[in-house]
Amino acid sequence: MTETTDHPSPQRAAAERGPYRVVIVDDHAMFRTGVRAEIGRSVAVVGEAADAEHAITVILQTQPDVVLLDVHLPGGGGVEVIRKVHEKNPDQKFLALSVSDAAEDVIGVIRAGARGYVTKSISGTELIDAIRRVAEGDAVFSPRLAGFVLDAFSGSIDLATVDEDLDRLSQREREVLRLIARGYAYKEVAKELFISIKTVETHVSSVLRKLQLSNRHQLTRWATDRRLV
Amino acid sequence: MTATDSSQLEPDLHHSETGSAQPASADGQSTAASDATSDSGQPAATSPASSAGAADSGQQTALPVSGAALRASVARAVPEDRAVPEETERPRATRVAEGAWLGGVCTGLARHLGWPLIAVRVAFVALATFQFIGVIAYGALWLLLPPESTVKAPGLESASRAGMRDESRPKRRVDWGMLLALIALGVGLLWIMQNTGLGISSQLFWPVAFACAGAALVWRQADSERQKRWRDEAGGKAWLAPFVARGGWPSLVRVIVGLGLVGAAFGIVLAQRGEISHLPEVMAMTMLALAGVAIVLAPWLHRSRTALNQARAERVRADARADMAAHLHDSVLQTLAMIQRQADDPRAVQQLARRQERELRNWLYGDELHEATLKAALTAAAAEVEDERGVPVELVTVGDCDTSEAIQALVRAAREAMVNAAKHSGADKIDVYAEVDDESVEVFVRDRGKGFDVETVAEDRLGVKGSIIDRMARHGGSATIRSAPGDGTEVRLELKR
Repeated sequence: MTETTDHPSPQRAAAERGPYRVVIVDDHAMFRTGVRAEIGRSVAVVGEAADAEHAITVILQTQPDVVLLDVHLPGGGGVEVIRKVHEKNPDQKFLALSVSDAAEDVIGVIRAGARGYVTKSISGTELIDAIRRVAEGDAVFSPRLAGFVLDAFSGSIDLATVDEDLDRLSQREREVLRLIARGYAYKEVAKELFISIKTVETHVSSVLRKLQLSNRHQLTRWATDRRLV
Repeated sequence: MTATDSSQLEPDLHHSETGSAQPASADGQSTAASDATSDSGQPAATSPASSAGAADSGQQTALPVSGAALRASVARAVPEDRAVPEETERPRATRVAEGAWLGGVCTGLARHLGWPLIAVRVAFVALATFQFIGVIAYGALWLLLPPESTVKAPGLESASRAGMRDESRPKRRVDWGMLLALIALGVGLLWIMQNTGLGISSQLFWPVAFACAGAALVWRQADSERQKRWRDEAGGKAWLAPFVARGGWPSLVRVIVGLGLVGAAFGIVLAQRGEISHLPEVMAMTMLALAGVAIVLAPWLHRSRTALNQARAERVRADARADMAAHLHDSVLQTLAMIQRQADDPRAVQQLARRQERELRNWLYGDELHEATLKAALTAAAAEVEDERGVPVELVTVGDCDTSEAIQALVRAAREAMVNAAKHSGADKIDVYAEVDDESVEVFVRDRGKGFDVETVAEDRLGVKGSIIDRMARHGGSATIRSAPGDGTEVRLELKR
């Protein structure tokens, strides 16, 4: 995302609001070390964990701004961590991180309550930017996640059965998502649609909420079925 | 035939077992053999109580009689001259978990002897009705035949096959609980046959069969998936598990049906005899047999079935693991080697890593793409560009459709746009987005490179004109290019369906 051009020095951006406190949860020590080295200067890594049980304890203890959470994790996966932590602290923010691009992983962890999803190949600056975004309460949508959501909410589902607003994307939300899927950063989306970045963020957060709250079971089934096609 | 086989087997096997207690073990299994020696040969060293306890709860402490010795003797027990000439190597006599009804003995023997499976089974059943010889033989073989060779890491397995490593045989555990159970079973059955006179057991066969089935049903409990929890609840005593542990209503039903069967056994006996006066004798006999069978058999049954289930699961996993090993060898290992060779060229290394990542990711998590769809075609095109040009291509698709001539043209145009972006834009990433809905197919190819002035450049750039704009027009579609110096480029391809 060229969003980083907004903040040529992420250190400065972080310094303005104080460094965000981050917990890294991943079962690969090598990956934790790597991420720590990459983002450690811009954010304060206050804890690490390698499995779900340990992660829950660490997160509840340290109450970080953002948890970088691996989707595949011994002890129930990232979804389990989010669920257990949200029982005690519903405001805890999670940014999911995975090598997997599988639809059910992505949709599953978002529906469990993560505020964003990025793949592990993300660059350090992009990751810092994503952390900042999540910490500020916004959602982080990668092009792939946007594509999944568009697919999941696409017209293939009979509109007559869609009675709730939650089960439908507004025209504007769809436009925003399409641009994100095309590789546009939030800033570029705003420029393209002649709206403010804040409005883009509002739309994305609204999509995230729909994704999480829509109890339309087609959504999960869509993610599962997709593997079989 | 089976009778002779097994009767040949038994003494031989028992012999070899006692033989393993002798210190000199010639087959290199010195650790296993000496373990067995210390347990059987020096009972004074460990107190009987502790070893009994170990047998009850024990996974690791079960007596490790040398599997090599046992297997060797089994192989010896079958005369060599019966070997079928055309077969290069006859499979070892093992218990085969796959497709087993009981212990996998028949399956294993059938495979070993090259007989039809049904023939072996019928032989055993026929022998069973004849003074229980079949049952005893089956039990002995169940006890003594090693389970089918355990699964090794696929790499090791292939190395072993290729003779690249020393083949060390897996240890096999035999515990005295099993032996005692069998002895009790055999003695009990013989005793019953003798007591009923002339060894004619048909009158008692069904009662005993009922009783055994009942007991088995009760103990079968110890073999469900929750057995570990049950065992914990029973304080590590497997034989207590069915009674102590909470198993829910299915287990209750099992216990009731099981006890009912045992009761039925008594009923049959009484009905056959028609004499109440015999009740105490019959009761005593059956009770003794049952007590012997049930109590002594339980931990063994429990363990052997656990092992059986594990073997079954292992088997399923083995194939998957072998596939994985082959895959890793073909892909990751080769890539790593190439990366080391080209360590001086960061671009090549990145390209290799990227290609490998894509390939591995696709293999691990990827959707299976049908051959002839837009998505598959675009994925292939993106991968090609990525490999040729070394620029990552991020492809996102929403919806999909079958390819047609027009769709193929669309894909070729998209590929050309990707190549252009990779070649000229200088961007470090290309985003490709395809969306299929009811009316149209749209593909966007976007880069954040240096861009160009569309008005001046597009016309005379053959790649753009010929292979993108004109191609789309020929197939009833359209291509629009948005670009400005410093702003990157986006090519939009559209096709009405």
